[in-house]
Amino acid sequence: MNLTLPRFFWNEFRKRRKKAALITFALFWGTLSILLLLAFGQGLTIQFRVSFSGLGETLIMITGGQASLTFEGLPKGRPIRLYREDIAYLRERIPEALRIVPESYNNWQVSAGGKEVNRAVHGTTAEFALMRTQVSQMGGRFINVDDNAQGRKVAFIGWNVAKDLFETEDPVGNEIVINRVPFTVIGVLKKKLQDSMYQGPDADQIYLPFSSFLMIDSQREIDRIHIQPQGPEQSKLVEERVRVLLGRKYRFDAADRYALGVWNTIEDSKEGLAIFKGIEIFLGIIGGLTLLIGAVGVTNLMYAVVKERTKEIGIKLAIGARRRIIIQQFILETMFIFAKGTFWGFIAAFNIVHLIRLIPVNYESFGIEAYLLRPVFSLRIFVAYVIILGVLVFLSGIFPALRASRSNPVESLRYE
Amino acid sequence: MIELQGIKKVFRMGSQSLEALKGVSLKIEKGEFISIMGPSGSGKSTLMNIIGCLDTPTAGEYVLDSDRVAGLSFDQLAAVRNRKIGFVFQNFNLLPYATAWENVELPLLFDGKNARKRKERVTEILKAIGLYDWREHRPSELSGGQQQRIALARALANDPPILLADEPTGNLDSRSGEEIMDILTELWKEGRTIVMVTHNDRISARSQRIVRLFDGLVLP
Repeated sequence: MNLTLPRFFWNEFRKRRKKAALITFALFWGTLSILLLLAFGQGLTIQFRVSFSGLGETLIMITGGQASLTFEGLPKGRPIRLYREDIAYLRERIPEALRIVPESYNNWQVSAGGKEVNRAVHGTTAEFALMRTQVSQMGGRFINVDDNAQGRKVAFIGWNVAKDLFETEDPVGNEIVINRVPFTVIGVLKKKLQDSMYQGPDADQIYLPFSSFLMIDSQREIDRIHIQPQGPEQSKLVEERVRVLLGRKYRFDAADRYALGVWNTIEDSKEGLAIFKGIEIFLGIIGGLTLLIGAVGVTNLMYAVVKERTKEIGIKLAIGARRRIIIQQFILETMFIFAKGTFWGFIAAFNIVHLIRLIPVNYESFGIEAYLLRPVFSLRIFVAYVIILGVLVFLSGIFPALRASRSNPVESLRYE
Repeated sequence: MIELQGIKKVFRMGSQSLEALKGVSLKIEKGEFISIMGPSGSGKSTLMNIIGCLDTPTAGEYVLDSDRVAGLSFDQLAAVRNRKIGFVFQNFNLLPYATAWENVELPLLFDGKNARKRKERVTEILKAIGLYDWREHRPSELSGGQQQRIALARALANDPPILLADEPTGNLDSRSGEEIMDILTELWKEGRTIVMVTHNDRISARSQRIVRLFDGLVLP
C-alpha cells in the first residue's frame, strides 16, 4: 500500500489542526457524554442485579400458610406447616430442582466477651451458601457438609454481628454463646449489596449447621424451604410442582394461593430487570440521537471547512490533483479528526468512570449512591460506539468531500 | 502543439449570458514563446484557462499534442495539467500553510512519484532557481519575487513542455519582474513552449509573437 498520499494528508492536517479544533472538541465531548451515559446506565443495571442477587439468584422460597379454599371436605382456615421430611419428599419428586435446602430460625440472646445481643439464629446446610450468596470474608468459611454430618458447634455470622460482639477483633476462631450453648465462629459474611430480605439483612444474621441448630431447638417444623431450579426457565414449573406435591401431602388445593407462602425471586427479578433493560434502551436511544445530531454537526462543519479551503482546492486541481485525491484528503481529514476526538473522549470517559468507582459506597444504607457510583465501562459498548460513529462521521465527511472534488478549478482559483 | 479552432466560451448567469470568446482560432508551435495581450474583458484569461485545460470551451475544437481536449474526462484533464502544463499565476497561488519545498513537491506527489525521485527533483529545481536555502520557509516569509520563483519551480516540477504564465510579473517590482522574465526566457531557450498573458509591452517584447485579443476575438 502506498502511504505517500495519506502521509501528505496527515502532514497537511497537522498544520491545520488548530482550525479543526472545534470539530475535534465536538467529537471529544460527544464521545465523553455518550460513553458516560451508557456506563452509568450499565452500572445501574448491574448494581440492581448485584443487589438482587444479595438475597440469592434463581431462588424460590416456600413457607407454610393457611388454606383459603375448602378441599376434599376439609374446611378452609387450616394452617399448613412445613416439616423436615418435606425436604427429602420434594427432592425425590422434583428432578427439575437443582438444590432443596431447609432453613429454620429463632431469636436468641447471643453473647461473646461480655457483650450480649439479640439476633436471629438460623439452621441450614452447606448448599445454602450457594443459593443465598453467603460468601465469607478472608480467613473464614461458611458451614460445610461435615459440620452438618457431625453436628459441629460452629457459626457463620453477619458483619454487623461481628462488629457488635467483637468490634475490631477478628471473630474467626473465637467463641460465641447462643442460648447458653457455645459455638466457634468459622466465618464472617463478606459485605454485599442486598435489597431484598425476610428476617432483616444478612449482615445481622447468624447461621449454624442444621443438625447443630436442632440441638438447641428440636422442633420438627421448619420455617422455610429454599429451592433452586436447574435453570431460571424452570422456575414456574418447579413452583407448580411444589404446590401440587405439598397439596397432595397436606391435602390442600394446588390452586390455593394462600396455602403456601411462595416467593419466586426469578419472576420478581424478571420484572425488575425488564425495567432496567428499559432504562438501558432509553439511554441507548438518547445516545443514538445524540450521535445523529453530532454527525449532522460534523457535516456542517466539514462543509464550512470545504468552503474555507475553496482556493486551496482550486490550486490543487490546477496543478493536477485528480478527483479522488481531493475526496481522499477530505475523508481522511474527517477520519483523523474522528480518531483524535474519539480517542481523547474515550480516555476521559474511562478515567472518569474509574475515578467515580474509587468513591466508597456504604452497602448497608441502600442509598442511591450504591447504584449511581458504580458506572461500568464496557469495551463492547465502546467498540459498537466507535463503529456506529465511524460510519456516521465517514458519511458526514463524504458529502463535503464530493462537493470539493466537483469544484470548478477556475472558480475555485478566483475565490478569496 | 496547441491548435484552437473557432473557440467560443459563453458564461451564463441566470437569464443573462456573456460571450467571452467569440470564435478564436490560434495555432502555437512547439517551442514558441507567445504573448497574449488585450484590454480587460477581452477574453485573455478565459483563453488562457481553456489552453491550460482548466476550463472547457462552449464550442470549437482544441487539439493539444494531437489529442482532442473535448473528449477528455475530468481526471484526464487533471493528468494533462499535471504533466504537460505548468501554471504561473499573477498572485502566485501557493499553499499558504505549506513550505516552499512542499509547494514544489505537490505536482510530483499528485503524479505518484516516489519519495526518492521527489527529493531529487525538488532539490534540483530549488537549487536551479537559487531558493534551496529557503526551502523550509512558508510563502508569507518570502518576498514577492521569491514566491513567484517558487511558483515557477512548482510549474516546472514535472518538467512540462508547456508553461502558461498569467501576468507573471503583475505583482512584482521591476527588478523581480526582470528576474522572472529572465528565467522564462531561459526556459524557452531550453525548448519549452511559453504562453504568457500580459498588459506590459516591455514584457511582451521578450516573446517571439504577440497575439492581440479584442472583445473575444483575435485581431488580425
